[in-house]
Amino acid sequence: MKVFLAALLFAAIVAIGVSILLEAIQEPSYVAFSTGGARVGNPGHNLVGPNG
Amino acid sequence: MASFVRFVRLAVGACAFLLVIAASVPCNAQQVNPTASSVKEQQLLQELNRIQGRVSIPDQRSGVLEQPAGRDWREFRNVTLRWIGGIAILGTIAVMVIFYLTRGMVRLESGRSGRTLVRFTAFERFVHWITATCFIVLAISGLNITFGRPLLLPLIGFEAFSEWSQWAKYAHIYLSFPFTIGVVLIFLMWIAGNIPNKVDVDWLKRGGGIVGHDHPPAYRFNAGQKAIYWIVVIGGGAVAVTGYALMFPFYLSGIEGMQLAQIVHSIVAVLFIAAMMAHIYIGTIGMEGAFDAMGTGEVDLNWAKEHHSLWVEEEQAKGHTPSGSTPRPIAAE
Repeated sequence: MKVFLAALLFAAIVAIGVSILLEAIQEPSYVAFSTGGARVGNPGHNLVGPNG
Repeated sequence: MASFVRFVRLAVGACAFLLVIAASVPCNAQQVNPTASSVKEQQLLQELNRIQGRVSIPDQRSGVLEQPAGRDWREFRNVTLRWIGGIAILGTIAVMVIFYLTRGMVRLESGRSGRTLVRFTAFERFVHWITATCFIVLAISGLNITFGRPLLLPLIGFEAFSEWSQWAKYAHIYLSFPFTIGVVLIFLMWIAGNIPNKVDVDWLKRGGGIVGHDHPPAYRFNAGQKAIYWIVVIGGGAVAVTGYALMFPFYLSGIEGMQLAQIVHSIVAVLFIAAMMAHIYIGTIGMEGAFDAMGTGEVDLNWAKEHHSLWVEEEQAKGHTPSGSTPRPIAAE
């Protein structure tokens, strides 16, 4: 049982660690694919509209 | 005078005749083909292979407006894949149910001896359980990506499905990393014991003893376990590589490569799930005493002798003696 719980803990630690690392090094697409001449802001989370 | 008129008539006639001949022969300098530059059918069909133009934004891939191979891929993703996955997974479940109802659990015929042999070390079990638990979450979250919308959404509604799918997607992405670590460690840890040999051929010929009461000899890993090992290593490797290609879109390839990555990832994944269901079955309810190997790491000596007799001989030759003792009868007072 101890080994099983240790495995769960290890998996969780690696997953959380990777999420922090990727959050730090990745950019959202509206930042990565814009230039000084293209004014692209945060498009928000709802790209469909208020009525779904 | 008459002869002159005759001469003129002859000359005019000859000229007219020559003119008719000349007119019937195509003359490039004079003839115009009005449809020469119009689009031919074959040209039109080839143009439809890709509709693209020039764009001014930095992402040049956005210049491709339409890629008709994408329609074929969508057909695969929405129709073909669901059939393959459905048949593989539901088919495996059906076969296991029928097998369990007819054959039942493979029993330990000589009963438990009470003495145990160490089968897997703590590290081996640790690596197995990292991989196994990550696999379960990856399988469920992955199946949600393929089957969630048609099967789960109608049951729980948009809000719940959306919330669940977001968490499932994060779990799928981030747990892929410990899963990959587990697969690599499994490959390194157990490669030595999983090279096929002649004993495996005999084991397979005797059906592994799964039907009837045969007990073909085997070393530490029998042919069925070796098959699972290579499915995990090769299948796990394939889903990992294609998965990372999908996770980092267009880092390695264009749109065609992404479509191929999704096709390989999804087909290998559903077949992997079917194979692992069989593995989980035999390691839990399918065979008495099997779970102990990954649970406590120690297996009953009689279990080892029945299913891995050659491995027991090797262990005893190394001086690894079974622990525990046979129950002694209580002396009457």
